[in-house]
Formats: sequence, structure tokens, C-alpha cells
Amino acid sequence: MSLLAPPSQVHFDAVTYRYPQQSEPALRNVDWRVEEGEFVVVAGSSGSGKSTLLRCLNGLVPHFSGGRFGGTAVVGGHDIRQDGPRALSRLVGFVFQDPEAQLVTNRVEDELAFGMEQLGVAPLTMRKRVEEVLDLLGIAALRGRDIATLSGGERQRVAVAAALSLQPSILALDEPTSQLDPWGAEDVLTALTRLNEDLGLTVVLAEHRLERVVAHADRLRFLPPGGGQPLDGRPRETLAVMDPALTPPLTRLARHLGWHPLPLTIKEGRVCLGWDTRRPAAPPSDRLVSGGLPVVALHDVSVGYGSRTVLHHVDVVARPGELIALMGRNGSGKTTLLRSLMGLHRPKSGVITVLDRNIARLDTAELAQDVGYVPQEPGTLLFAETLREELAFTLKHHGGRGKDPEQVLAKLGLAHAVERHPRDLSGGERERAALAAVLVGAPQVLLLDEPTRGMDAARKAALGCLLRDLCSEGATVLMATHDVDLVAAVATRVVLLGDGEIVADGCPREVLSGSLTFATQINKLYGGHWLTVEDVVTGLERDSE
Amino acid sequence: MSALDRAGLDARAWLLWALAASLPPLLGRNPFVLTATLLAVLGVRTAMAPPSDTPGALAWNGVVRLAVVFASVGALFNVLTAHLGDRPFAYLPSALPLIGGPLTLNALVYGLLSGAALLTLVLVGTTLGWALDWPTLARLLPARLSTLAVAGAVAWAFVPQTVVALREIREAQAARGYRARGARELVPLLVPLLAGGLERAVTLAEALESRAFASPPDSHPGTSSRLPWRSALAALGLAGALLGAYLLGAGAPIATLPALGASVLALAIAGAGPRSSRRRTRYRPTRWSRADSLVAVTGAITVAAVVITLAADPAAIRYDPYPSLTLPRVNLGLLAALSLLLSPVLFIPARPSDSPIMAARGRAQRVTLP
Repeated sequence: MSLLAPPSQVHFDAVTYRYPQQSEPALRNVDWRVEEGEFVVVAGSSGSGKSTLLRCLNGLVPHFSGGRFGGTAVVGGHDIRQDGPRALSRLVGFVFQDPEAQLVTNRVEDELAFGMEQLGVAPLTMRKRVEEVLDLLGIAALRGRDIATLSGGERQRVAVAAALSLQPSILALDEPTSQLDPWGAEDVLTALTRLNEDLGLTVVLAEHRLERVVAHADRLRFLPPGGGQPLDGRPRETLAVMDPALTPPLTRLARHLGWHPLPLTIKEGRVCLGWDTRRPAAPPSDRLVSGGLPVVALHDVSVGYGSRTVLHHVDVVARPGELIALMGRNGSGKTTLLRSLMGLHRPKSGVITVLDRNIARLDTAELAQDVGYVPQEPGTLLFAETLREELAFTLKHHGGRGKDPEQVLAKLGLAHAVERHPRDLSGGERERAALAAVLVGAPQVLLLDEPTRGMDAARKAALGCLLRDLCSEGATVLMATHDVDLVAAVATRVVLLGDGEIVADGCPREVLSGSLTFATQINKLYGGHWLTVEDVVTGLERDSE
Repeated sequence: MSALDRAGLDARAWLLWALAASLPPLLGRNPFVLTATLLAVLGVRTAMAPPSDTPGALAWNGVVRLAVVFASVGALFNVLTAHLGDRPFAYLPSALPLIGGPLTLNALVYGLLSGAALLTLVLVGTTLGWALDWPTLARLLPARLSTLAVAGAVAWAFVPQTVVALREIREAQAARGYRARGARELVPLLVPLLAGGLERAVTLAEALESRAFASPPDSHPGTSSRLPWRSALAALGLAGALLGAYLLGAGAPIATLPALGASVLALAIAGAGPRSSRRRTRYRPTRWSRADSLVAVTGAITVAAVVITLAADPAAIRYDPYPSLTLPRVNLGLLAALSLLLSPVLFIPARPSDSPIMAARGRAQRVTLP
């Protein structure tokens, strides 16, 4: 190795890679350097090649995936064309997106020791390192726990700890928080920044919750869709030029108002607000929906599994055109509420009526004629050979009544995929395919369970528009979600659940604003009833008129 | 109880118990022996069943229900199609294909006994599924077989996961207005199940690969310590063990001894590798307690009793209701030995912790955050 130019820890030169049986390359002529101790965030919409780029770091691409690889990629002195993931496992720790499928044992301690056992680390060293990583990630309390009993955030921290136990010098994480609720995500990201700042560990993170990480990152790399030239620079520089739809609300606002330098945190935003004298007029009022007869009504409903009660005496009424967001911690009863509306759980007490019918004696398939339900995992729905057949299947079970499949697909931006296999679609398209398969039955009530899990900001915005359209056509939507930005943009009402009881029920502006956990970035900055960038922008325009 | 001994007993003791409990249903159809074994296994299973609303219990109960269905269908099929024996109780017109002819009590008895044998084996399997922790089990295998062990562990964990996934898929499709009416309509359930399983498998394989699974413990790549003759010997040893099992099943217990002896020798030679290369290490060695000894000894006594009875008094284990239905033979000594199968009950803690196997998909929402 030359002393004149110390080599970068990660050094990609003209890397081009194409997955087997694909016509378009996933990586095109990529040059990339990562220096030791850097915290690099890789952003981009789904399908932009984030995962592929990260998988090159430990040789999963091309050793595991196959395909054609060109150019040179050297990681910590290893040419990844020669050394595969096994050889690189000591150098690069890898954390995957799915908290449920990536853990290989069933107890936390075993999980942490797994890699070391494989590599034959001496038992005494192993004991010591397990203790160290338990403390590093703050999971010592979980050490004897069964993996199946952990929450998503806890699982991901265990996955990070397991990767660290091999003492890698690079930690690569492929959207580790996309399946987590905000609290779980916060825990994982906080742990990462600490590892980078205190231990000097190189961290390469693909992530779409940029607001949490940009302040700590040294570099932000943005991969535009379709394999265009990536943007790579300090977070402020990249945020200023990348696709605004994928940036955090604070950045979008700052770019709109021309704040310079771009604030990365709420605290920096307050400074900018200090010298910016423009103030928006009064915030817009909530879209209130009060007319119409109740479509869905829960009256004093309690639901439980076995001896455990999950919902306690819940009363909710939904009218046509309403879009109700169910919010609250994991385990607060959001999913159970949706499932009991679908007849998948029978209440212990209380009455549920849907379209003036008591659903106690209706089975799920009967209810499905009027109620659409999209579960968290869209893969549980899709089975047909083509998207067209998938929609035809729903129509068949609705006695042929429903919407025109072509129209539904066009509206969801899936017109091009009519003849494709639903399972071959990308993550986001698959989510929309499942939605299309439900919407084609023209349900009057739509139940969505965490529809934005794993979605990037642009796709969330598109989903928001679609939901708003549905409501203006008179449908009623109930959705369980953690996504405050989506709720601020589209919900007409927020029902906040805490441990199975209704804590708050009101307009988004009342429930979300001023809340410590549910306030949007804009609300934290402006206070009052301001929730979204659009609120402030239109407020300023009205002011200047 | 430390975190390690989840079911209170060592994996090796459980394995010996499982061997002892599955020998009688594998070897014969004597109704007394089958009933005694079934009762003992049910006793152990009941004592260690986790709270019935945990996803693990639900999944394993699903497997048991499936076995009950198979056993009943099998018995029915046997009555309808095997027209043998001396005790006919009904006649179907002989014009009917396959099922036409006399229906005999012999066929009914045989079908029921086969069903009971199948059910016993499934119950042994599910009890092991609750009791055993695969990583512990995998550690029992020699380091050379650890790759196989982890692969087996992963496959094993897939069974209950798949049952949970099937329930989720059924609910999702029902919420779309779907009702399964016939075999052809099962496609909407099976395709997502298989596809989802494959996707999970790929992620898991990637994770294993990235975590040094099956990586050469030696730091010099290319120099394989696994010589071909060793592998050949290991294969021969396994074949010898299978032959021994077959001979035992075929009723030649004396001939099994040389076959088993030879296979043990072959496996031992194959396993005793040179110590120069670094081996995989263990985070925590397993501990052997007095309870383990007791369960192992009672298990060994049962195995010995079964093998000895098979040699000395085969009719006490085997029973054939064809061609004439006779009273099966009773061997009280053997039945006493089988009752020893209940020994794990003594050591199972009052309230076992939740199932080790389940990584139930979509259950995360039931676990509250701190």
C-alpha cells in the first residue's frame, strides 16, 4: 500500500452491477469513497439502488445474488470480487431491514454469540464481548429474553449488537428502522450515532427518516431514481439540491423560504426563524366532517385475547367522508380495533355496527362486501399470476359489483403493470397492488393497518392524495399509523389510543399540536396549530396578498 | 432457574426420552403398548404445555389437530378399502369400485391403531418442539456437523412460523370476500404462503451468510481439513445406523448390534479430526444435572425394555389384527417400563416460559414497549 495516498476504507471505482435476469443494471458506473470513522447516510427512493450499494460492502452482491459485476470495489483492503460475505464478516457488520427474519437463534445472548461461535472466538473473549455489546446498545436487560417476545426496535438493536460482536470496522445498515414505530426507530438511530461518535466506527446507513440522522451524518449520498448520477456531499449541501419530496419537512420549508445555511435540526430552525421576520397568517382550520349518518359505530366495545383485555370500553363513530387516524404506541390496540371491525375478533362486550348492521352475526367474508381491509403485510393478499387476475378475483367474490379494474390501477399508478406478476413488483408497487386488490371491490369503509410502513416520502404523499380522493367520494377510512406527517396532511380526525383506552379524539390540529411525541417538525418550530409545510406556505402567501 | 434451562432439562435427556417414546409406535401395533405410550406422552405434554394463548402453543396445536385429522381419515380409508379379516360387520355393494365388499372390524382396529401410532409420534415431536431449544441441540452435534445443525434449526423454526402465516393469509383473504369452497380454491392461500416462506428464507440466508455462518474457521482459505475419505466414512456410518434401525424395525434385534456398532465406530473415526485447525467454539457449555441423569436413565431403561421384549416376546409389541382378530398379548413388565416415560413430569417447572421456537410474524404489536 502506498504511503503517499492512504487508501479509503471503501473504494469503489466504476462499479456496474446487474442482477441476474434483469435488463437494466442496478448500479451504473459508481465511484464511491468512505473514509474511516465516517457516518454516511445513503438516501433515495425505493428502487434507486440503495440496498444493492450496501450489499456490495460485504460481498453479498455479487457473491450471494449472482449477476454481472464490473469495476473494482475494495473494502478494507479486500477486493470483493474475490472475498465473499463469509470472509468479510469480520470486517463488515450488516443489519437488514426486516426485524423478524434476520435473527437466527431464539435467545438474545445466543444471537450475540452466534457469529463468534462460527469464527471460533475463544470462550473467555466471547463472554467479555457479549457483555460489552449488551452495554453498548443498552440491551443488558434483554439478555435472557426470547427473541420472539421482543418488540421490533429491541430486535433491531439486538441485530446491531450481534453485528458488533465480531468487532467489525464498518457497520452497514439497510433501512434498519423502516419497519419500526417512531420510538423503536429513535432507539436504534441514537445507538448508531453513539457508536460512530464514541467508538469511531464507520457507519453506512440507508435510511429514509432523514430528519433523525442528518444532523449526525458526515456525508449524505442521494441516489436519484433510475440510476442517474448520485449526489454526494455534506448533508447540508446534498439536502439543498436533492429531490425535495424526499427531504424532511424542515428542509422543504427552509428551501422554500430560502434559509441559508440550511437548518438540520429544530434548534437550528429556531435560529433561522429568529431572523426571518416573515410570519404566516392564522393557520388554516381543520377540514371538519360532521354531516351524514354514522357508517361505523363502536359502542362500549371491549376486546381481549384469552385472559388479556386489549380494548377497554371503546366508543368510536365514523361518518361518510371521514379519514380517521388511529394512533398510539405498539400494543395500544390499534390493530385489534381494525380487526374487530372486520369480524376477525369478536368483542367480549359492546356492539359494533357497520352500515346500520350489527356485525356480531356477520362473518368476515360477508362483511368484506362493504368493508375493505389491507393488512400490514401486503404479501398475504397477493397470489394471482397477473395483477389483472388479482383484481378479477376480488370482483368475483363481490358478485361482480365493484369498480373498473383498469381505472383503479391507473389511479394507483399501476397501469403499466397490469400483466405483471404481483410478487415481482417492487416493495412500494406491491403495497399499492394490495390496495388496488381491495379498492376494486368499491368498499364503503376502508381499513388500513400501517399503510406507510417502509414507504418513502414521495410514495407517502401519493398515498395521501389517493386517500383524500376516496374520502371526497364519500368513503370512510380508518387507518392505524405512526406517521405524523401523513396524519397531519390527510386525516380529518385523530383517535389516540393508550393501553386499549381512548386517550384523545379530535381534529389533528388539536391532538397533534403541542404534543411531545406526536408534533410534526413544523409544529415544533412554529407552535400553535401549524402542522405542515403547506400550512405555513399558504399562510405566508395569504399574508403577502 | 437460569435462563439456559428453559424446560428444566438438558437437550440430550429430552432426546433420549423422545427416542424411548417413539420406539413402541415405530415398532409395533400392540394396543396396550400404544395406549400406555400415548398416555405417558400426553401426560408429559400436558405438564409442560405453555399458556394456550401464546402463538407457539397455537401453532403446535395446529400441527396436532392436523395429525388427528390425518389419523381419522387414515382409519376411515382403511375400513373402506381393506376388505380383509374374519369379522365383517357390514357389506357395501361390490359394484362400487375400491370400497365395495365386506367392511371388517379387523380393518377398523388396524386403522385406529395406525392412527394412534401416528398421533403418538406427532405428540412426541411437538413436545420436543416445546421443550427443546435448537441452538442448545445444535451444540450437541460435533463441530463438523454444525452447518447441518443450524440448517436443521432454521427449517424446524419454519414449521410453526408457517402455521401462523397461514392463519394471517386466511384472514386477509377472508377480508377480501373469499371463502374456500374446494381444493382448487386453495391457491389464494397456498401461493402467498409459499412465496412468503421463500422470501423469509432468502433474508435469513443472507443474514446467516453475513454473520460468518459456515465460514472456514481456519484463517487460511483453501486448505480444507475435511478430507474426502472422512466424508465417505461419515456417510457409511450414517448408512450403517439406518440399516440398524431398519433391522430393528424388521424384527431382527440381534442383527442390529453389529450394524450399529460398526456405524458408531465409523462416525467416531470420521469425527475425530486433526486438532490443528481452529474449531467453532461455544458461548456457554451445557450443564448436566441430576434430573437429566434420571430422565436419561429412565429413557434408557425403556429403550432397553423395548428392545429386549422385541427379542424375547415379540408379540407383546407387535400385533396384527389380520387375518383374525385376537386378543393382543399383555407384557406387564414392558408396560411398567413404558410408565417410566412420565419421568420428565417430575422436573418440569410449574409455569414454563413461553415457547422458544416461535418468532411469530406480526406479533410484535402484542408486545408493549417499555
